Amino acid sequence: MKTNSIVLGLLVAASAAFATPAYQAPAYPVPVPGSYALPIIKRAADGALLDANGDPASLAALTRGRITVLSFIYTQCASPNACPSATGVLWQLNRESAADPALAAALRLVSMSFDPVNDTPDRMAAYSALVAEDPDAAPWHFVTTRSDRELRPILAAYGQAVSKKANPRDPTGPLNHTLRVFLVDAAGNIRNIYSSGTLDVRLILADVRTLMLEAATKPSVATLPSGGN
Amino acid sequence: MKQSFFILHRRSGAFFLPAAFAAAALALASLLPASRADETCSSPYLARIEGQEEFLYVWTLGVEGMGDGADKLVTVDVKPGSRTYGKVIASVTVGGRHEAHHGGFTDDRRQLWLAGLESSTIFIFDVHTDPARPRLVKTIDDFARVTGGAVGPHGAYALPGRVLIPCLSNSTDRGGRTALVEFSNEGDFIATHWMPVKGASGVVGAEFADGYGYDARVLPRKNVMLSTSFTGWKNYTRNFGDLVQDAEAVKQMGNSMVLWDFHARQPRKVFHVPGAPLEIRWAWGEKRNHAFTATALTSRLWLCYEDANGEWQTKEVATIGGEGGVLPVDISLSADDRTLFVDCFGDGKCRVFDVSDPHRPREILEQQIGRQLNMVSQSWDGKRLYFSSSLLARWDKGGADNEQFVRAYGWDGRALAPTFELDFTALQLGRPHHMLFGSTKVGQ
Repeated sequence: MKTNSIVLGLLVAASAAFATPAYQAPAYPVPVPGSYALPIIKRAADGALLDANGDPASLAALTRGRITVLSFIYTQCASPNACPSATGVLWQLNRESAADPALAAALRLVSMSFDPVNDTPDRMAAYSALVAEDPDAAPWHFVTTRSDRELRPILAAYGQAVSKKANPRDPTGPLNHTLRVFLVDAAGNIRNIYSSGTLDVRLILADVRTLMLEAATKPSVATLPSGGN
Repeated sequence: MKQSFFILHRRSGAFFLPAAFAAAALALASLLPASRADETCSSPYLARIEGQEEFLYVWTLGVEGMGDGADKLVTVDVKPGSRTYGKVIASVTVGGRHEAHHGGFTDDRRQLWLAGLESSTIFIFDVHTDPARPRLVKTIDDFARVTGGAVGPHGAYALPGRVLIPCLSNSTDRGGRTALVEFSNEGDFIATHWMPVKGASGVVGAEFADGYGYDARVLPRKNVMLSTSFTGWKNYTRNFGDLVQDAEAVKQMGNSMVLWDFHARQPRKVFHVPGAPLEIRWAWGEKRNHAFTATALTSRLWLCYEDANGEWQTKEVATIGGEGGVLPVDISLSADDRTLFVDCFGDGKCRVFDVSDPHRPREILEQQIGRQLNMVSQSWDGKRLYFSSSLLARWDKGGADNEQFVRAYGWDGRALAPTFELDFTALQLGRPHHMLFGSTKVGQ
């Protein structure tokens, strides 16, 4: 039962997908990694989390030591250009990293729920089971928080807007939210923020590789002692 | 059924997942605007109003001796059925006169950033806690210092987690050389991108680059941004009558549009578009890769478009108001990309073009709105338009022609019908300029 509502959102998205022509990436030239700058936007804030096993974790530990792509989601979201899309992009990054050892060693993926009432660790574990684990790929963490009280300061620090919809039975899910995916360098600085209009896996990969090149030339700036994987 | 899908999903190794997510997004995203009603000319990254707009936020220039004489954010109730419909329900002074001009929301629509062209001050309002009563929460008053010399902030354009502020000038010579600037939604400086100048390396058409700026807008699915060009602080703070008599000063006007690699924030191509191209309006249609702009000094409508070879081009597509020059200052493209409203400061008329064929615009209406006319904001359903009167403090007309108003109209596809009017002089408010929509109902 606990997987049903998780699957429901994915089912909506997937069903629509099968009824449409194959997705094609937008046609435009992707900038060459390292040919452009990614200025620091702000620090990636810390916060108390629960991992998919229900064990305590910290957001700082999950945004330091590797380049991190952090996606705020909730599992009931069935809005096709929101959470399912973001999880799909992280999945693509996961697959790309499985074929690129250097990328896998540098990258970490984090899907964090902003719905602690419904997205319990068990639910996040079920959500994570929707993606096949690959030991060669970059690690992918599915985390939540213990309560709204512990969640709120995290959302405020990341500027992640979330509010309840007037209609809790809205077919796209009960929450309004902006789509936010963050690129965090190994030193814990937010270097890019993606939304539905910019959530192109090719651009994110170019950014990740730009930070990898930066780390190779400025290791003291971009890399801190390992904060785990 | 759900469980079997789940099992199938896992057995399949989930290889269809990204395509499913992405294609679903592509297929269903086009359904979303139907339930939205917002300004048609806002950032594509902006959270949308659900249903009809409830408030009109009017960034208003202060006038010496009028009320408190200061720039202010005026809130007008435009909620149908409200007992205060068409009335001013809030007015927040920011203190002093800063040449209130343009503004814009953060992507989550929780903040409204309003810019002062003369003082280079940014006023950040909370429009989330109580959208009917915006509250000034932060002021950025060291803009030139933190940006490395950019001045004349011209509004704010929502990007994910940040705002893009196109500028008009610089602090060194206060001429037209300027930059695009980015701040985080928290109000912290991120980066300055200087406009390309003549001979810029790696930029096609660099011989046309003049370094000037005005508007900047993004077409995300093509990863391109367009910018236009106006004039520097020395000119826009000068009395208009004096300025037009100064042949050298008149030469210091922008004649370029720049196409940028948006993701890299790097200029790719410069177009020669003479006569101060101002507002940029990208088409919304998924297959419509074009944008319009109007040149203030030459009264021409220009099209920037992607040709059959994938190359971006510009061309003049229409004359606005005959050959005399009517100073087109703002344009608004309908959400269906078929109708373009062009406000002309010179004769106070709104000219409406059928742009169904963007290469061959056809004027379908010419209507007097006031003795002077500046901004226009249009609802997403195309049924309501709001007009304001003021251009710049020292460029507005004098005497009886110096009407200062917000006028609301309904549009039925053929005619503009007045719905309400506010006399900003009688109300002792000032000179109304940019108008933005607010609501208690904001979606994703």
